Amino acid sequence: MRFKARGKFRWPTPELSTKTLRVVKLTTIILFTACMQVSARGYSQRVTLTQNNVSLVTVFQEIQRQTGYHFLFTYEDLDRLGNVDVSLQDVSLDEAVEACLRNKPLTYAIIEKTVVIKPRPAPARMPQQAPEPPPPPTLRGHVVDSLGNPLVGASVTIKGTKLGTRTNFKGEFTINALPRGAVVVISYTGFIQEEIRPNPDDNLFLVMQRSPDILDAPVVQAYGTTSRRYNVSSISTVDAETISKQPVTNVLLALQGQAPGLAVNATSGVPGSRVLLQIRGQNTIQNTTSRLRPYDQPLFIIDGVPFAPQNNNVTQLNSLASASSASGGISQSGGLSAFNGINPADIESISVLRDADATSIYGTQGSNGVILITTKRGKVGKTIFDLNVNTGFNTDARTVKLMNTSQYLQLRKDAFAADGITPNSNPYDPGYAPDLTVFDSTRYTDWQKVIFGKTSNNTDVHASISGGSAQNTFLLSTGYTRSDFNYPGHYSDQRFSLHTANHHGTADNRLSVDYGIDYSYDRNNSSGFGGAQSILNPPNTPDLRDAAGNLIWSYKGIDISSYQFYGYLKKVALANLDNLNTYLHLNYKVLPGLSISANLGYSRNNTSENQQMPASSQSPLYPNVSSAFASAKLQTINIEPQIDYTNAFGKGVFSALVGATYKKNLSYTTDVAGTGYANDNFLGSINGAAFVQAYDGSSIYKYSAGFARLKYVYNGKYIVSLTGRRDGSSNFGPGNQFGNFGSAGAGWIFSEEKAIKSGLSFLSFGKLSGSYGTSGSDGVGPYLFQPFWSPGDSYISAVQGIHPNFPQNLYNPDYSWALKKSLNLAMDLGFFHDRLLLNATYYRDREGNQLVGYPLAIQAGFTSVNENLPATIQNSGWEFSFTSTNIKTRSFTWTSNFNISFNRNKLLAFPNLENSSYSDTYIVGKPTSVVIGYQYKGVNPQTGLFEFYTHGGQATSTPTSGPLSRGGDYVPIGDREVKFMGGFANTFTYKHFSLYAFFQFSDQQAPNWIYNIYTFNPPGSTTTNKPVGALDYWKKPGDHTALQRMSSSYASLASQAEGNFVSSTGAYSNDTYVRLKTLSLSYSLSDEALKKLHIHQFRIFANAQNVLTITNYKAGDPETFGDLTSFPLQRIVAFGLSFNF
Amino acid sequence: MIKLFPNKLYMIGLLLVAALGPSCKKLIDIPANPPTSLTEVQQFSDSATAMTAVAGVYSYTGFGKGFTYNDGYLTFCTGLSSDELSYVGYPSPDLQAFYGYGLTDLNGTVGYLWTDPYTSMYPINSIMTNVAASTALSASFKTQIIGEMKLVRAFFYFNTVNLFGDIPLVISTDYNTTSRLPRTSADSIYAQILSDLSDAQKALPAAYPSSGRVRPNLYTVLSVRAKVQLYRKQWQAAYDAADSVINSGLYSLEPDLNNVFLDGSNEAIWQIPANGSYNATHEASQFISPYPNTTPQYLMTPILQKAFEAGDLRWQNWVKDYVVNINGTNQDLYAPYKYKNYYSSAPTIEDYMVIRLADLYLIRAEAAAQLGKTTVALADLNQIRARAGLVASTATTAGDILTAIMHERQVELFTEWGNRWFDLKRTGTIDTVLSAEKPGWKPNEALYPVPRLQRQYNANLTQNPGY
Repeated sequence: MRFKARGKFRWPTPELSTKTLRVVKLTTIILFTACMQVSARGYSQRVTLTQNNVSLVTVFQEIQRQTGYHFLFTYEDLDRLGNVDVSLQDVSLDEAVEACLRNKPLTYAIIEKTVVIKPRPAPARMPQQAPEPPPPPTLRGHVVDSLGNPLVGASVTIKGTKLGTRTNFKGEFTINALPRGAVVVISYTGFIQEEIRPNPDDNLFLVMQRSPDILDAPVVQAYGTTSRRYNVSSISTVDAETISKQPVTNVLLALQGQAPGLAVNATSGVPGSRVLLQIRGQNTIQNTTSRLRPYDQPLFIIDGVPFAPQNNNVTQLNSLASASSASGGISQSGGLSAFNGINPADIESISVLRDADATSIYGTQGSNGVILITTKRGKVGKTIFDLNVNTGFNTDARTVKLMNTSQYLQLRKDAFAADGITPNSNPYDPGYAPDLTVFDSTRYTDWQKVIFGKTSNNTDVHASISGGSAQNTFLLSTGYTRSDFNYPGHYSDQRFSLHTANHHGTADNRLSVDYGIDYSYDRNNSSGFGGAQSILNPPNTPDLRDAAGNLIWSYKGIDISSYQFYGYLKKVALANLDNLNTYLHLNYKVLPGLSISANLGYSRNNTSENQQMPASSQSPLYPNVSSAFASAKLQTINIEPQIDYTNAFGKGVFSALVGATYKKNLSYTTDVAGTGYANDNFLGSINGAAFVQAYDGSSIYKYSAGFARLKYVYNGKYIVSLTGRRDGSSNFGPGNQFGNFGSAGAGWIFSEEKAIKSGLSFLSFGKLSGSYGTSGSDGVGPYLFQPFWSPGDSYISAVQGIHPNFPQNLYNPDYSWALKKSLNLAMDLGFFHDRLLLNATYYRDREGNQLVGYPLAIQAGFTSVNENLPATIQNSGWEFSFTSTNIKTRSFTWTSNFNISFNRNKLLAFPNLENSSYSDTYIVGKPTSVVIGYQYKGVNPQTGLFEFYTHGGQATSTPTSGPLSRGGDYVPIGDREVKFMGGFANTFTYKHFSLYAFFQFSDQQAPNWIYNIYTFNPPGSTTTNKPVGALDYWKKPGDHTALQRMSSSYASLASQAEGNFVSSTGAYSNDTYVRLKTLSLSYSLSDEALKKLHIHQFRIFANAQNVLTITNYKAGDPETFGDLTSFPLQRIVAFGLSFNF
Repeated sequence: MIKLFPNKLYMIGLLLVAALGPSCKKLIDIPANPPTSLTEVQQFSDSATAMTAVAGVYSYTGFGKGFTYNDGYLTFCTGLSSDELSYVGYPSPDLQAFYGYGLTDLNGTVGYLWTDPYTSMYPINSIMTNVAASTALSASFKTQIIGEMKLVRAFFYFNTVNLFGDIPLVISTDYNTTSRLPRTSADSIYAQILSDLSDAQKALPAAYPSSGRVRPNLYTVLSVRAKVQLYRKQWQAAYDAADSVINSGLYSLEPDLNNVFLDGSNEAIWQIPANGSYNATHEASQFISPYPNTTPQYLMTPILQKAFEAGDLRWQNWVKDYVVNINGTNQDLYAPYKYKNYYSSAPTIEDYMVIRLADLYLIRAEAAAQLGKTTVALADLNQIRARAGLVASTATTAGDILTAIMHERQVELFTEWGNRWFDLKRTGTIDTVLSAEKPGWKPNEALYPVPRLQRQYNANLTQNPGY
C-alpha cells in the first residue's frame, strides 16, 4: 500500500525568514504519526526486520510497531527514494534507523519518543566564514498536535527559570535571547510534556503527542468535542469497546448501567423491540392511568442530525413486539424501534448529556437530556480490513414456574367449593367449568416450555474497510445480523446495514468536508399479537392440533378458541424498516482560529408493515380474514450554519461558537386494511380484499434557532462557559412560538494550584465545576393550538354518500413550552497519576410551567386539553463514578469502573392540586410516581379475605375508594421511583486473554408477583394458569396465607377484595436486583503468530448478556415486572472471532 | 488592549443576525391546516362541508364516535343486568360483573357507557354552536340542522340518564365550563330533553330530509317524545305523540318478522346505516355464531326463553337455536337473532334500528291503559301479537292489560336499546322481578356506578349509592 502525498513540506531551516515561515502552511504537513495508535502491548527497544523491496514508510511503520517510537517524516522525502531492502537482526533503534538512511539524503533525530526524519542539510548552506560571536539567539517554534492542528496557548518555558511564553492562535511562539544550552519545556494539558535542547536560532516544529490520560480523551458534546479535563458539564461517554462486548442488536440495550443517571428499560425480549431511556428521572406530568408511569425520553442525535424516528414505536400494526408495555409499568407502548436499524458495530461513541450546560444549547428540545451518537470514521494510515463474525444462542433469561395440572385443578375445585357450587358442564349454570368437567384431567402441557422453551440463534457478521491519508480518509462497513425469536416457528429479525464515512481536506487544509451515509434495512418477521399470554393456558388444555397439524377449535362441544396458541403462529406480522442517516459537515478556515462551517443532515425512516389474519389461523366462530398494510415515512432535515473562533488571550484560550439551526420534521403514515378475502393466498396483496379501508395521517414540525457558546480556559485552571439559544417552534400558537434559553458554567482545576501540586502530590487531578441553566420542552403535536375537524379514525364509512368529519381537539391557543432549570455541581478527582478517577455530581432539576395534556372528565368531549400548569417537578440527586486501574504489570492488568446514581423525584409545587384532575394522582412533596391506594393488612384468617385499613384504622375487606378528602380510604402507599441504580465493570487482561464482567443493578418498589396473579384474569374464577406461588391461598379458618380464598364468581366478596388488593400496599414489594449483564472473554493471537499469518489482529471471543440475576423479586423478570405474559428478556451467549489485516 | 475579534468576524456575525432575525418567524411557518384536517372555520364555511360534521353524528362507527357510540354495549350490558342474557364468551370479568351484580366504579365497560355518549355529544353541541354562529349558512339550513341535533342530543341524554340517574348536563363546548360540571338531577335532564324535543318538533318537517329514515323527521321527534313522556308517566302526552306517529300514515308493521330490521323496513322510524367494516351491526357480531353447533358468546337466559308463548313467530324468527354437543350430550343454546347479517355486505341489507313502530304501538297501548282507554290499549297490543302469530290477549282489566303489555314488550323488544332493563326500572318492578329470578340481585345496581376515573378528573361528580 502506498500513500500519495499531495502536500509540500519542507523542513524549516534556520535560513528561512519568518515571512517564509508564515507562508509555510503547517496544515500541509502530512503527519503519519496520527495513525499510529498507542497500543497496550509492550515495546522492545530492539529491532528485528527483514524486508525486501519495500518503501521506507513500510519499514518505519514496522519499526514503530516493534519499538513504540513514532516517526515524523514527509511522504515526499521518502517517496523520492524508492524502495529499499532491509535486513536487521536484534539491533538498537539507532542502528536500525541509521541502516535505513544509509546513503540517503536524509538524517534523523530522536526527540523523546519521536524519530524525526529530515533532509540532510545541503553542503552549500554550510557557513563559509569563521564564526563570529553570534547575537543572543531567538527561538521560534510552532506547536501542533498529531493532526497538525495548532495548539493554542501551550506553555513554553525555559527550564529552571521563570522565563516563558505561550503559543498564539497559530500555535507559534517566540523566545528572544535564549540562553545557550537552555532546556525548553513545552507543555499543554492533555499532551505529553516535551523537553528539548534547541540549537541556536532553531525554528522548532514540534508535534506533541496526546497523553494517554483518560482525562484527555475526546468527549463528544453538543456541536463539538471537549475533554473530561476541561468539561464543566455532565457528560458520560460509552465507547465502542464497551458496546462491542455486548451481544445486543439494539445498541440502546448496551447502555444499561453504563452511564450514571441513565435508566434503560427493555420493553420485551422480542428481537428488535423498543428499549426506553430516561435521563435523571421524570420531568413532566403526563396523562396516564395510575398503574402506568409516564416516561420522558431524551433527544437522540446521530452524527449531529436529530434521528427522525427518535426512540418512538415505529410500527402501527400489532405484532409480538407490541404485545405489552410491561417494562417497569411504564406508559410507553412496546413495538419496534428504529434504533434496531443502527448497527452497534458502527458506533464510535455515545455521549449522554445530562445537565443544562450540556443540553441548554438544544433549547426547547433538550430538557430531558440528549443522547449523542457518533459513528465510526476512517483513520489515517494503511488500509485495514476488519471482519467480525459471531453466532449466539438465546434463551429465556428468567422463567416462571407455573402450576402443573393437579395443582391447577385443585385450585379451581377449591374455588367452586368455596362458593358452594358444583362444577358442571352446563353453560347456563354458574358452575360451568369445562376444564374441570370436560377436559382430560390427566393431561399436562407445560405451556411455558412450548412457547419460550427453545433456544434460538443469532448470527452477526460485520466487515469494514478503512484507511486513508491525512487529506482523505474513508470507512466503509457492512453488517448482517439475524436474531431468531425464542418462539415456536420461524420468526426472526434480520438487519442489513451499510455505513460510510469520508473525509476530505484541501491541500491548504482550509476547507474540509466530512460526509457519511448510513443505510440499514431491518426485516422483522413475527407472529400474531397476543400469543405470549398462552403460557397461562390451563395445563390440561386439550389437543389444539390434530395429527395433520390442523387447528382444533372445539373439544367435546366446548369452544377452546381462547386457548388456541397455534392460531397466532399462522398469523403474519411483517415489518420492514429502512433507515437512512446522512450528514455533511463543511468547514472552512477563514483565518487562523476562525472557521465557518455548516452541518447538514437528513434522516429518514420508512416502515412498511403487513399483518395477515388468514382463515386457517382463526376460529371458524369469529373469522375475520383480513390483511392490513401500513407504512410510515419519517423525515428530519437539519441545517446548522456555524462560526467557530478560537484564540489565545492572555494566559488563556478563548473559544466561541455562534450558530443557527433550521429543522423540519415531516411524517406521513398510511394504513390500508382489506377484509373478506376469499383465499388465504391473497393476503399478501390488497387486491383480493372484498372491502378495503384506508386512512393516512401527516404531521409537520418546524423549528429554528440561533445559538452561541463562549468558553474561556484561563491558565489551564479556570474555565468559564456560557451558552444561549433563542428558539422558535411551530408547535405553538402565535405569540408563544419563541423562547430564550441559556446556561452558565464554571470550573476550577484546583490541582493546578501550586499549593496543591506540592502539598498533595498523590492528587494528580482535581476539579470543581458547576453550571446553572435552562432548557425547555415543546413536546406536543403540531396544530393543536386551534380546533380542528378531521375525517377521524380509520374504518369510518360514509353516511349516505358523505364522509363524516369529527372534531379533533379542544380549543386552547395559549400553551407554550415548559421550562426546566438545572443546577449541576461536580467534583472530579484523580489520584496516583490518574490511575484512580472519581467523580461526584450533585444536581437539581426543576421543570415548571408544565406542558401537559391536562386530563379532563369526558363530559368536556375529550379526555385532555393541552395546557401549561404551574406545577413544578424536581429531580435531584447524586451520581458517583470511579474508574481505576487496580493492577498493572507487564502481563496482567485489572481495571474497574463503577457508577451509582440516586435520583429523588418530587412534585415540588402544584397550586390548587386538590381541585385539579390530578387530585387523586399526585401529592405535593411526593414523587410523581407516587402510588395511592389502600393500606393492606393481610388475609383475614377467619374469613379468608384480603383486608385493608380504613382511614379510621379498622380492618375491612371493602374499603371506600378515593382520597380522605372525599371520605375514601386512600393513602399514599409508596412510589415507583428507582431508588438507586448503576453498573460495575471489571476488565482483566492477562497476556492475550481479556475478561470483562459487567454487573448492573437497580432498586425500587414494584408491583409484585401477587399483583401479577390478580391483574390478568384472577385465579379461581377464570381458566387461567398461575405461578405455583398462587397455591398459597386460604383454605380453612386459621390459615395464614399470601392469597385470599379462591372464588369462582365475579360477584363474590372475594372478587371485590381482589380489585382492592391490586390498589394496596400488598401488591407492591421491593424489587432489587443485580444482574451479571455482560460477560465477555476474548483471546488475541500473539504477535509472533500474527506475523506468521500476515494479519494485524486476530481475536476469538465469547460474549454473554443477562447471564445471571440475583434478586428478591419472585415470579417474573425484575426488569419487566408487572406482567407475566410479555415476551421474556433473553439470555444471549455469542461466540465469535474477529480479525483485521 | 486585546482585540477580541477580527473585523471580518463582526461582519459575518452581523450578516448571520441579519439573516436570522426577521426570517425566524417565516422559518417556522406551517400550512394553515394539515391535509387530514380542517380548521373549525373551514368546517362550517359552507353547507356541504358542514354536512360532513352532521354525517359524523349519524355515522355507525363505534369507538365512542357517531350514533352507535357504545358498540352495542348498551344492549349487552343492560341485557346482562336484567334477565335477558348471560355471557359465556372469552373470560371477561367486566361483562360478568353486570350479570352477577359485581359492578364497581373500575369496571371498564361501565366506563364506556359513561364516556361514549359524552364523546358523541361534543360534536352535536359544537355543530349547534358553529352553525348558529355562521354567516355563510342559510337560515333554513340552520333551523333544520339545529333541530336534528337537538333530537339526537335528547335521545343520547335519555339513554344515559336511564343508565346512571343524575348526570352532568353538557350543552356547550367550552371545556372551562363543561369539564367540572356536577351531576344534574334526572328531573332537570328530562326537562332539557323535553325542551330539546320541543325545539326539534318545531324545526323538523314531516318529510325525512334525506333518503331512507336516517336523518330524523317530525315523527322521529314525536316517537322519542312518546317514549320519554311514557317514562315520565305523562300518559296523555305520551299517548298523543305515539298517536300522531301511528296515524301519520308513513309507517306500518312489517308482516314478515324477517324484514323488520332490513334497510327500507316500513316499520322503521329511525334507522342508521350499519355498514361497519367487519360486521353489519355490533349486535349481529356478538350474538351470532356463524357456524352451527358452536356456543355463541351471549345466551338468552332461561327466563327470557320461557317468556315466549308457544307458537310465537318471534321465537322462530328472532331466536337462534345452537345445538351443541357438550361432553357427549346435545344441549340447546339460544341466542338473539334479530340481526342476521353477520358479515358486512354491500349494499347494506340491514340497518341499525333506533326506534320502530312496534314500540310506538306498545307505548300508545300502555299510555291508553293508564288513561283507562282499555279498548285502544288492547287493540294496539293485539296488533303486535297478531304479527307474532299469537291470539289476541285475554286481559280485560287495566292492570292485566298493563301486565300483558309489559310481557309483550319483553318478547317484542328484547335486546334492543336496553328496553327490558329500562322498563323494569321505570315500572318499579325491578327488585321484585330480579330478586326472584337471579341470585345476588343488588337493588343499588339499578343505577350503574360513575366511573372512578371520571370522578378523579372531576371531583364535583358524586357516586351512586352502594359503590
